Amino acid sequence: MPSRRELLRCAVVGVAVTTALGAGALAWSSTLLGEYSVMDMGSGEHGGHGAGGHGTHGVSGGGAPAASGTVGGASALSVTSLTADADRPADVRVELVARQGTIDIPGGRAVDGYTVNGTSPGPEIRARQGDLVEVEFVNESVTDGATLHWHGIDVPNAADGVAGITQDAVPVGGRHTYRFVAEDAGTYWYHSHQVSHVQVERGLLGAIVIDPSEPQEPPEPTDAAALDVTALLHVYGGQHTLNGRVEDAHVDASPGSTVRVRVINTDQGTAAVWSDAPFRVVATDGHEVNEPTEVDGQRLLIPAGGRADVAVQAPSHGAVRLHVGGARSILIGDASASEASVPKAPQPRETLDLLAYGTPAPLGFDPAAPDRSYDYVIARRYGIIDGRPGNFWTVNGRMFPDVPMFHVREGDVVAMHLRNDSGDVHPMHLHGHHVVVLARDGVAASGSPWVVDSLDVHPGESYDIAFVADNPGIWSDHCHTLPHAVDGLIAHVMYEGVTTPFTINGEAGNRPE
Amino acid sequence: MRKVYSALAWIIAGGVVVQAAAIAFAFGGVLNRVSNGDVVDKALLESGGAGGTGELGFWIHGIVGGVVMPLLAMALLVVSFVVRARGAKLWAAITFGLVALQVTLGFSITDVPYLGLIHGANALAIVVAAAVAALRVRRSSRSTASTGAGTDAEGATSDAVAA
Repeated sequence: MPSRRELLRCAVVGVAVTTALGAGALAWSSTLLGEYSVMDMGSGEHGGHGAGGHGTHGVSGGGAPAASGTVGGASALSVTSLTADADRPADVRVELVARQGTIDIPGGRAVDGYTVNGTSPGPEIRARQGDLVEVEFVNESVTDGATLHWHGIDVPNAADGVAGITQDAVPVGGRHTYRFVAEDAGTYWYHSHQVSHVQVERGLLGAIVIDPSEPQEPPEPTDAAALDVTALLHVYGGQHTLNGRVEDAHVDASPGSTVRVRVINTDQGTAAVWSDAPFRVVATDGHEVNEPTEVDGQRLLIPAGGRADVAVQAPSHGAVRLHVGGARSILIGDASASEASVPKAPQPRETLDLLAYGTPAPLGFDPAAPDRSYDYVIARRYGIIDGRPGNFWTVNGRMFPDVPMFHVREGDVVAMHLRNDSGDVHPMHLHGHHVVVLARDGVAASGSPWVVDSLDVHPGESYDIAFVADNPGIWSDHCHTLPHAVDGLIAHVMYEGVTTPFTINGEAGNRPE
Repeated sequence: MRKVYSALAWIIAGGVVVQAAAIAFAFGGVLNRVSNGDVVDKALLESGGAGGTGELGFWIHGIVGGVVMPLLAMALLVVSFVVRARGAKLWAAITFGLVALQVTLGFSITDVPYLGLIHGANALAIVVAAAVAALRVRRSSRSTASTGAGTDAEGATSDAVAA
């Protein structure tokens, strides 16, 4: 028979344990996101000068689909109205059909994944600058639903393809039309932005290249690219592929001719490009480099999601080998040159610094006196997101969904200070805009304007970047190592007066990351 | 509660063994891939195929080290407050501190590879701390049991000491 004292002790311990468990369950359930709108996210920073880092905690998650239309009052503009000219006929029309199933990998083993028009990568879309591109997207069998995001193209917001922000995920049997004017020539790619960490990794993607409206006047005869090839890199089930094949490519180029290789990094990590022969980096993320010089004995690093156009000259005899992404390479020159005749070159240790590459040119805007200044500081700590415990990324010290919302007004010049206080590299990708790099670790850019949409920020590094808010909408600004975005490394740029009727985790099953 | 405490401590010590085995398995897989002509790069690392045959090792090391061990160490610390044994709290706290350090080191190795040297050595420190914690409770439980048998024994011992 237990004594009274022991009974009391048991009761006290019981109450304490129950209270602790109850409090724990309550704290845990408060992290559940449920259905929510991105408009409810963030702490309402407005980027006024000297405002960096202030933080009144805003509304977190807590399902509010009814929130649409509450910001901006009568003048509220829905993202669905931010479209290309509806009356203008399309210059380029493409139908892309997404399917779930087996991807055949020439040279390797087949893997389960997603195809576009039966292949992965999907068909390359080619358009000319100024064309209105219309893509009819059909989801034939992707059970989670799917979308298409035009990575790097500054499309109107309605065509951005982010499930739960600019549209609902297209369900099986559904279709969605994307329309945009291809304003900037360059190398881009498309991919799903629904459950993107899975769908991109498993192949729901393809290349899109926009050719300049006028063939460019070559500054020197060797600059005119005789040939223009795409090198899309992707790892399928542990197999490195180049344009979907587990093998190297050959480009038949006459001696002395210049080949433009459009390298697209669709993977989750940085890709290296190098060669024994000198090459030039003629464009980054779809923007031409001003007066690129020859790169010799250095490697070029392309962030996840990023692109670089590299010009290589075919040798007078034989071929040169351009290594793209570590495992694959392209032989350029005499088609009869055997693989063995062009040995693989070791990867140079030194990296080309794009901060000081090429020749300075006017930016087209003045970043010295920005209308908004924001910090985007990345770190990591333990916590719970949506009921899931883990070591998550934080933005400005706060964890998803309590991350900042970067409010802007159309026409603003926006400065952003990116800093990485974590131990991993983060390829930061801003939708709908291109940013210009002003400085790294306080050292000002001294080369050609370095214009990007995907920027690797290494541990301990900081970047000062700027952009012109010239494309109204609600735009994701996230890490393109996509599992990092799932783990909270995502914020948004929101234009004043723009609203979205779409929600995440609702009936439509939108899960953009 | 003593049993729970010492079981947790032994599981933590055993977890370190699992971690050492898993990471060796994983790097064996990486070296095996490389020697077969494959290339291991950031793209492969991030898409989770770098380990080849030993890929499961990376997964185990990540889950056990990032989630299981911190939870066990925290549980040990909590349990130590209801265990009446000398040094239980102290050794649970030391174990917890070392595990916290270990996780922090693990997440920072990519950035600062030299930390790997401490990460490996600290693993052994965790084994020692967890084993000491487990043994202490057992030893003091034995002495408490003898105390329960009669104060005479204790008295006799102190007499003997006095003598």
